[in-house]
Amino acid sequence: MQTPKEIGGIRFGLMDPETYRDMSATKVITADTYDDDGYPIDMGLMDPRLGVIDPGLECRTCGQHSGSCNGHFGHIELAAPVIHVGFTKLIRRLLRSTCRQCGRLALTDDEQAEFRSRMQRAEELSEDWSDVMKAAVRQARKAKRCPHCNEPQHDIKHEKPTTYYEVQDVLSGEYSELIAEAMQPDEEEDREGMAPQELAEKTDIDLQRVNQILSGEFRPRKEDRKAIEKALSIDLTVEDMNKLMPSDIRDWFEDIPNDDMETLGIDSERARPEWMILTVLPVPPVTARPSITLDNGQRSEDDLTHKLVDIIRINQRFMENREAGAPQLIIEDLWELLQYHVTTFIDNEISGTPPARHRSGRPLKTLSQRLKGKEGRFRGSLSGKRVNFSARTVISPDPTLSLNEVGVPDRVASEMTQTMNVTERNIEEAQQYVRNGPESHPGANYVKRPDGRRLKVTEKNCEELAEKVELGWEVNRHLVDGDIVIFNRQPSLHRMSIMAHEVVVMPYKTFRLNTVVCPPYNADFDGDEMNMHALQNEEARAEARVLMRVQEQILSPRFGENIIGAIQDHISGTYLLTHENPHFTETQALDLLRATRVDELPEPDGEEDGKAYWTGHSIFSELLPDDLSLEFSSSTGDDVLIEDGQLLGGTIDEDAVGAFGGEIVDTITKVYSETRARIFVNEISSLAMRAIMHFGFSIGIDDESIPEEAGEQVDEAIENAYERIEELIDTYDAGELESLPGRTVDETLEMKIMQTLGKARDSAGEIADDHFGDDNPAVIMARSGARGSMLNLTQMAGCVGQQAVRGERINRGYEDRTLSHYKPNDLSAEAHGFVENSYRGGLTPREFFFHAMGGREGLVDTAVRTSKSGYLQRRLINALSELETQYDGTVRDTSGTIVQFEFGEDGTSPVKVSSSKDNDIDVDSIADRVMDAEFDDEATRQQFLGREEPPTNLSEHAEPRLSDARAPEVESDD
Amino acid sequence: MNREDRRSISRQYFSDERLAEHHFRSFNAFLGRGMQEVVDEKETIDTDIGDKEGEEPVYVELGDVRVVTPRVREADGSEELLYPQEARLRNITYSAPVFMEMSIVRGGEEEEEVVVDSTETKVGRMPIMVGSERCNISGFDHDELVEIGEDPVDPGGYFIVNGSERVLMTSEDLAPNKILAEYDTKYGDEIQVAKTFSQRRGYRALVLCERGRDGLLEVSFPSVSGSVNFVTLVRALGLESDEEIVHRVSDDPEIVKFMLENLEEADVQTTEEAIETLGKRVASGQGKNYQLKRANYVIDRYLLPHLHEEGVEEEEVRINKAFYLCRMAEACFELALQRREADDKDHYANKRLKVSGDLMKDLFRTALNKLARDVKYQLERANMRNRNLTVNTVVRSDVLTERLEHPIATGNWVGGRSGVSQLVDRTDYMGVLSHLRRLRSPLSRSQPHFEARDLHATQWGRICPSETPEGPNCGLVKNFAQAMELSQNVEDEQALKRELASMGVEGMPGLEGVEPTTADD
Repeated sequence: MQTPKEIGGIRFGLMDPETYRDMSATKVITADTYDDDGYPIDMGLMDPRLGVIDPGLECRTCGQHSGSCNGHFGHIELAAPVIHVGFTKLIRRLLRSTCRQCGRLALTDDEQAEFRSRMQRAEELSEDWSDVMKAAVRQARKAKRCPHCNEPQHDIKHEKPTTYYEVQDVLSGEYSELIAEAMQPDEEEDREGMAPQELAEKTDIDLQRVNQILSGEFRPRKEDRKAIEKALSIDLTVEDMNKLMPSDIRDWFEDIPNDDMETLGIDSERARPEWMILTVLPVPPVTARPSITLDNGQRSEDDLTHKLVDIIRINQRFMENREAGAPQLIIEDLWELLQYHVTTFIDNEISGTPPARHRSGRPLKTLSQRLKGKEGRFRGSLSGKRVNFSARTVISPDPTLSLNEVGVPDRVASEMTQTMNVTERNIEEAQQYVRNGPESHPGANYVKRPDGRRLKVTEKNCEELAEKVELGWEVNRHLVDGDIVIFNRQPSLHRMSIMAHEVVVMPYKTFRLNTVVCPPYNADFDGDEMNMHALQNEEARAEARVLMRVQEQILSPRFGENIIGAIQDHISGTYLLTHENPHFTETQALDLLRATRVDELPEPDGEEDGKAYWTGHSIFSELLPDDLSLEFSSSTGDDVLIEDGQLLGGTIDEDAVGAFGGEIVDTITKVYSETRARIFVNEISSLAMRAIMHFGFSIGIDDESIPEEAGEQVDEAIENAYERIEELIDTYDAGELESLPGRTVDETLEMKIMQTLGKARDSAGEIADDHFGDDNPAVIMARSGARGSMLNLTQMAGCVGQQAVRGERINRGYEDRTLSHYKPNDLSAEAHGFVENSYRGGLTPREFFFHAMGGREGLVDTAVRTSKSGYLQRRLINALSELETQYDGTVRDTSGTIVQFEFGEDGTSPVKVSSSKDNDIDVDSIADRVMDAEFDDEATRQQFLGREEPPTNLSEHAEPRLSDARAPEVESDD
Repeated sequence: MNREDRRSISRQYFSDERLAEHHFRSFNAFLGRGMQEVVDEKETIDTDIGDKEGEEPVYVELGDVRVVTPRVREADGSEELLYPQEARLRNITYSAPVFMEMSIVRGGEEEEEVVVDSTETKVGRMPIMVGSERCNISGFDHDELVEIGEDPVDPGGYFIVNGSERVLMTSEDLAPNKILAEYDTKYGDEIQVAKTFSQRRGYRALVLCERGRDGLLEVSFPSVSGSVNFVTLVRALGLESDEEIVHRVSDDPEIVKFMLENLEEADVQTTEEAIETLGKRVASGQGKNYQLKRANYVIDRYLLPHLHEEGVEEEEVRINKAFYLCRMAEACFELALQRREADDKDHYANKRLKVSGDLMKDLFRTALNKLARDVKYQLERANMRNRNLTVNTVVRSDVLTERLEHPIATGNWVGGRSGVSQLVDRTDYMGVLSHLRRLRSPLSRSQPHFEARDLHATQWGRICPSETPEGPNCGLVKNFAQAMELSQNVEDEQALKRELASMGVEGMPGLEGVEPTTADD
């Protein structure tokens, strides 16, 4: 084991060509890889000194074998310097800001000092000093002459990716014509001509010279040129571009003094600018570019090797040509080619450069491509990688499981293993696992002897091996019931997307979940898949059990209330059970409570027809903690009253037991414990299922139909709205419509029409609502909050209403109208997407089309949102990943900078704090209650108060101190 | 219309012959005239023979092209009719030989032109759409199809390449040769732009006419970097006088005012000057003669190529281009004055569909060019070795075949588009039907493009309002409605124009003489 080392810091710099040579294991001069016998060629790209990849061979540098030898760099001596593409921008800046003659930064000493102090200040304030650098470059670029050696400076033009030109103005070849033309009189431009004598006078040039210039015999000198230009107000210059070869740039950069570099924020110790021009190219070790042997025995080389072959070939040709004294043109071509190959070796996705391609036409994956992007080294191999002991399959529901559990298919359980250290206490158990072999379920896959040898357990050797298992051995046994695993569904948007579950091994091929954990995972069973990870050491298992178990996540840090609770049919079930408090016979009552811990019924609530009956309220109360008292109003509309664990009145609906802030679940979690809440949610869901099955619950198309007279009322309401809209349009047409503040008349009209139609739909909804019975299943679902809303009902029975695209009525389409069925500029409701029919009644074709238009927007929105949220989350995670709450309560990043003095600015966890003002947690009463339950007499209580013993939830046996006397029996339930 | 009538109409539309009707019509039109059009565009294959002193030039004249029905060449050299099912089972391509008349002509420099060799030769193989008119099973009835082992209910409309069935995705493009006026922003200011995708013979050029913040018009088109002053360009095209320019843009007093601003700023007055100025833009730093040559070349070649037509004089084309630019300017001004609204790019009147025949035409054009290059090379080689030049020896038929088959097999079309051909979805029969009638928008799926994804009211009756995938392709991939009718472009544009002229349309180039007929005759 290597000891971990603390990294103080990392600095990036450039590498000196000498360092490249020093660290190089060999110079590479041959473009070939292997000889005919399949051995690597000396000083070739696969030289054994660069490391080994074939098993059995020995590294000629370090003597190790493949696997333990990391490989060693080699180097190529480039025949001519080339530019490193990664630094083209910096090179451009340096060229522009330094003197072409003396290499000094074209700033006066005062300016330099100022920029240096600005740079220092920026660094002290840990601001971005690159702005200062850019400002310095801009300032230096302005200089027409070098302040140090007075050399005139030229502008630098950068042609991407790697060509630089010096631009200077020189005399145009057609200077004589240009001057002659300007001297001609021009009536159109109202210009008088100028005689040569006049010009000579104005410019102080000999007349003879002027004539020579005019005839093109003499090229005017710079001063003369300027004078002529001024006199005639013309431009005689053209741009001349002088290409800077990499060697020129290197020479130039060598002259830049270290001090000047510091003004630009470059540490000359670590990065001399001339090092940005490569003279030596490091050759990555063979291990970084392994070749693979294909089935037919042919070797296939890595992309990097291919690129290196190109570089060496061109390098060779370059040298040969130069030695043979080839013409400059050819040398330049080869130089450019070498530059191209080195460029693409570093980055093959440079714009403006055709990517180097494989023979098949696939672009090569070179250095920068290995690092960049999602599958690159950073995001693909370091931040995230593939792991062992993980499984993925489809999920399906199983209401018989506890919410803490997950059903794991047996074939998954036999693949994932847990390490058992064989001790005196478990040796027999361990032997039994081994004896079962790898194929029958609670078996073992591997054993590890104390000497470190790992033996595979097979069907053949399992019996034999079982006998050999001794103390100190390790047995990798299959997952069994009760093991803890991590379960995850992507996208992992909040911490409840990854929770720990206890394993229940089951037949078949899907992971099974209790439906109440769907909300935190945002899972459904329409083909969703989830991942499972088996934990591999005790620390991980303990941590998962204490922190990550589903029951510990009942409260969401998102809004401080429970995110796990009854959903859908559970809520319909409790509603049916408690609404209007129905009566049950003993058999019925026992049947309802069958799947819970309750096996004895309380005293009956009364007698009916000579038989004892129990009410829904008292059956529900059986699941509540004995001393729970609570009062709140339900979404159904009545007040729920619970006193001492007895439901005295009200309907239990979404607000009471639902996920996302069900009052009772929330209170039990906060007041009692997570374990109690888990039991409660489990039992509520079983009871609710029994209840809904007792009453029977179904929905059909007839449940959405309303009587004929109601339909007429709806039609009337819509008719009224139409009339009002017609009035609105008439006033608008007459120009009498008054605009609302801040809106145009058109907008006002649109708004008013929208409002009217909205009202029309609402009144249609009310009419429909009046005609629905309270026992209508759709109404039950909407009222209890199980699924759907009254709006959905309105649309099914009354009127679908106005269709909108981006918040407006439908306006786009043909010119001045939506569909060709309408007259141009028709402002009426129906022409802009008002659907007056109900879903049940059926839409007309036009209505259907408008509805599809409105529906499409929703589909597009969902599609766009999902792709956006992924990226948003990635950015958020990257921004916050380093922040950590320290033991002193501050939030700091890795450099120790304080981001918040107190976590969340208030030092509270949203989970531990009350979510709303009106049900603030009464800390004293909680404390008293806990104390009362814990201690029988004042003496032990005082004794306890003297010391601190934090409660643990590692084991369920630690929890009898809680008020619920039956807590030890908890295990029976999961 | 009563219920019975409606029903029988529906039945007509729902018949299985109509399912891939748009593919058949398009592909048949391609085989029938599209191929010949491409060959006629090419006309000749010129060679470098004759560049040397004392050598007579040689060129190849291309004549009629002819496609037969699919057949397969067996190992023993015999050729037999091929049926789709056999192609599928044997993993071969369902393609038919293409024959073309070619004549090698020598002379023209000193000697008379002599036809050295003239013959109809097989130039390659064309994959044939199953069910099209050149398909071996077209016209077979149910029993005959069953007899030869074909699926009688298969809708056809796809190709078979190396045994795999490939559909060509219909793609939806913005209508070419149409002025679209819209708002844009430039340096934070709102400006008005009139756009035209000018298209002719597979060459597409975007011409933009912008009215900047200062009210000056600028035109940009390919091969000119940046933009050119509107007045300069119009003058270069031969529309010289101020009066005529203004008149051609609009007679509206407000627009005239805008135009006068532009004319005041103009720095050239005559056509010659304008062309000179243009020359400085397109070939700066070059000799004057070259600049002029280049300027003339650029305006004839890259500016609004769709205005070039057979039988219209170059001079007239130039003035037409000027008129067209004036119309674009008018559109800009009208937009600026809010006389009109910005054109709706998603309006279906502004869309054109590229169906299999159009795609095959693009493919055939590049394939023919490739063949021509190969023929040129072969001719030059044969000439160097002093062999007799015969058509059959210089045409290598696999050049064309390869160029036609490979894109269909991989979906990598000419012009860098990929995914053009897709493997027919045979999940179930409905999958096939849906796939054959699918329609793809070339817009990137990674950008939101909310407007383009919306169901547009003009899609009524043409595109299904319900069937679109969920997810990133939502609203970009569409499906034809059952009652959709796809119109083809006309066979003979001249005839159409004559007809329009006879109905009273004026000012069409090359058709001045046609007398408008009155409504009663």
